[in-house]
Amino acid sequence: MKLEIDRRPLWVILLIRSFRPAFFLAIGLLFFYLINLPTPDGLTIQGQRAIALFAVCLILWVTEALPLAITSLMAIVLVALLDVLDKRTTYALFGNEAVFFILGAFILSGAVMHSGLSNRIALAIMSRFGGTPRGLLASIFFLAAALSFFMSEHAVAAMLFPIVLEIARGLNLKPGKSNYAKSLFLALAWGCIIGGVATFLGGARVPLAVGMLKEATGITIGFFEYTSMVFPTVMILLFIGYFGLTRFFRQDIPDIHLAKAVFEGKLKELGKIGYVEYAVGILMGITIFFWIFLGKTIGIAGIAIISVVALFILKLVRWKDIEEYVNWGVILMYGGAITLGASMEKSGAAAWMANAVIGDWANNPLLVIAILSLLTILLTEGMSNAAVIAVLLPVGIGMAGKFHIDTKTIAYAIAVPAGLAFCFPMSTPANAIAVSSGYITTRDMAKAGIAMMVLAWLVFNLTARFYWPMIGIRL
Amino acid sequence: MKKTNTYLHNPGYLKIELMLKGVRVDGKVLKKAGFDKCRDVANIACGLDIILPHNTWVTAPYAQDFVNDSPYELIEKDGGFFITDGNKSVKVSIAPIPEFYRLKTTSGVQLSKIGLVHGGYVAITPATQCDFFNKDIECRYCAGNLDINKGKGTVYTVEDVLETVEAAYKEGKAEVVYLSIGFSETADGGVEFLKPYIRAIKKHFNTLVAVEALPPKENKWIDETYAIGADSVLYNLEIFDPKLFEEICPGRAALIGRKRYLDALKYAATVFPSGTVASHLIVGLEPIESTVEGIDFLAGMGVVPILPVYRPSPRAKLPHYKTPSTEVVAPVYGYLYRAVTANKINISWVRDISVVTTPLEGRFFIDDNARVKTFVQNFYKSRLGLKAAWSLATLRRKLRVKVSSRE
Ligand code: SF4
Repeated sequence: MKLEIDRRPLWVILLIRSFRPAFFLAIGLLFFYLINLPTPDGLTIQGQRAIALFAVCLILWVTEALPLAITSLMAIVLVALLDVLDKRTTYALFGNEAVFFILGAFILSGAVMHSGLSNRIALAIMSRFGGTPRGLLASIFFLAAALSFFMSEHAVAAMLFPIVLEIARGLNLKPGKSNYAKSLFLALAWGCIIGGVATFLGGARVPLAVGMLKEATGITIGFFEYTSMVFPTVMILLFIGYFGLTRFFRQDIPDIHLAKAVFEGKLKELGKIGYVEYAVGILMGITIFFWIFLGKTIGIAGIAIISVVALFILKLVRWKDIEEYVNWGVILMYGGAITLGASMEKSGAAAWMANAVIGDWANNPLLVIAILSLLTILLTEGMSNAAVIAVLLPVGIGMAGKFHIDTKTIAYAIAVPAGLAFCFPMSTPANAIAVSSGYITTRDMAKAGIAMMVLAWLVFNLTARFYWPMIGIRL
Repeated sequence: MKKTNTYLHNPGYLKIELMLKGVRVDGKVLKKAGFDKCRDVANIACGLDIILPHNTWVTAPYAQDFVNDSPYELIEKDGGFFITDGNKSVKVSIAPIPEFYRLKTTSGVQLSKIGLVHGGYVAITPATQCDFFNKDIECRYCAGNLDINKGKGTVYTVEDVLETVEAAYKEGKAEVVYLSIGFSETADGGVEFLKPYIRAIKKHFNTLVAVEALPPKENKWIDETYAIGADSVLYNLEIFDPKLFEEICPGRAALIGRKRYLDALKYAATVFPSGTVASHLIVGLEPIESTVEGIDFLAGMGVVPILPVYRPSPRAKLPHYKTPSTEVVAPVYGYLYRAVTANKINISWVRDISVVTTPLEGRFFIDDNARVKTFVQNFYKSRLGLKAAWSLATLRRKLRVKVSSRE
């Protein structure tokens, strides 16, 4: 714990401190005002209340004046209290499939990490393909991406970070100076970010979007269906990312024989592969198989939870080991966002807002996708990606109805770019972890990240324009 | 007893006179005042707490031999007490010996061993030890109360200290709890040791806490001192003249250094509220000009100089130093009052100290009745004022202290 004494004049401190109560008071007044406005034509009273609540949550999610999870809990309670939806429906929405899928995915990914399997795979791949500077860079980048197909990208970044850090130290790279070190840490971050949007497993935001969509409209998106829609985007971005990393940061190291020692030392530390690692690996393989081929029939949450139960039956983990990997805050946040999203849709507020906010000018589906994806990719740089989804998806769903666009495409247009935050450490934990190494500065990250962000947006929209129709998506 | 000029008319002068020369008192009067003959005359507590006009507190020696030469006598007339010089007299009151002195803690320690009341505050030294003695570099004027040679002194438990504060608090004698600690060779200057005491006192009582310690090596400990609940801090430089500082305070000079004292005080003055950071400069151990220079220097940094007058004690190792006369000392207090006022330092904190003349009492030596300042100080002594001071100090701490989880 670090202690600091604020030695500024007391009036300055008081002024700053009074900002928070004033801020909450203003939010309260805004809420009161919105609720008491005359209900506009075409909007029900429930819809008006949902919009007032949505506005308050939007401010709180964007500013993070309250923890995201607490704002979400407040949203759930207020949806019921304001009679936007009846109590039964409101609280039932929290128990939706996406929430249980996320919970299962946290536990499974925790088990993989705890067993040491992911670490072993990472080291083995790096040691096998990382013989040259480029080979090592590629193996970190693609490995981070590939692992993020199956585990939370944040967990992958956290897992690979100490290895990359040791490599950088082992190679005596200068923090803040070495181009090669910069590219290594950026490879780690970008690999996780790009890989993280490929499947439901890379981050909890895709299940969130899918859950919100399902609760609001009844439409479902399957595990395989999602991946087949976004895979080209991911592949192209991986290619561009690798190209960018090798071009942006001119290689300033002739060979990397010193890194070999790091891998060997670490692998030695791990010892030989044990029963738990085998078993967890097999169980994970089976789970993914079921998600892909039976996800629609059995339900992805059901598969995840059954696998979790199997983990414990086989005594592969203890609850104590897993607890630290389960982010309950995220689970609460998602439950609340889904409930609020559904209440917006069911009360007619989403459609009304799309009408009122967007008007008639965005009458082309591709334009709607371009605008939504641009808005998402910009917002996600500054705010939590889940919050971006919670804020934009209800409006997006309303727009889909208004312009008769396939609602699923709207979900993609928001869920995918929400994960593509390349520019700043605060945008996503993978970036923050890379900058925390001291080898890459925020400035370096922003310079390369802005270019990557623009390219990512273009690639996503081009995929939507040319690839989606090929697989039968009606725009 | 030889006849000399007396200062009955001026409480400021009279306070100095009584502190330096003491007061004669007849056994019967002493009994009426509720006192006994002091057993240990070297003890700082061995004095009569007298309240002079204008609510001026003084602890006057009465049992020591030198008192026989004092021109002042405490007499009793018609149920009241007076200080007389044989011709004139002035009405005073005697602060009774605190009741709690007679009590013991649950663990059996006499409360008067732990806490001593001096005017408006109760002084507690939780560990009676100063490591300077173990290295033979103790301050040369030191009365040696903390001289526990080559061994650990008594360490009172937090519970013992709490019981003492509670008893004093109930009697209204703990407006301020004054915790002091001798030198120990730790980087924190004793803050870590005092922490549980300060925390416990703050947790249980709405009282202010002053800490007298040695400057810590790093400023973060000063932050810590404030953050854990100290409302005031004293790092006593004692001697401003650099050379004399080294001679008279060899331990402080060698293990802490004059520069660190001044740096720590300067920093503390930016952390603690105005008027709550103080440093002693002993009048009589260096030329008056040097003391005056010290007053200017400290006041310029926002630190309150507190000026005790040197009085040789049997254990002091300064054979050539004598107590300075009232005539020499008085103008220095006048100067002190002007210096703190000019530097806009709040002087209501350092008040009701019976063993030293406070900055506000310096007004008695110049032509200033300091009505507003006196009013403010009197307000802070009232029940409402004490509550207000405590609440403001707590609020200020809440606003200023930031704790983050990152290292
Ligand atoms: S610091 Fe100096 S004055 Fe204080 S107890 Fe130690 S030796 Fe005595």
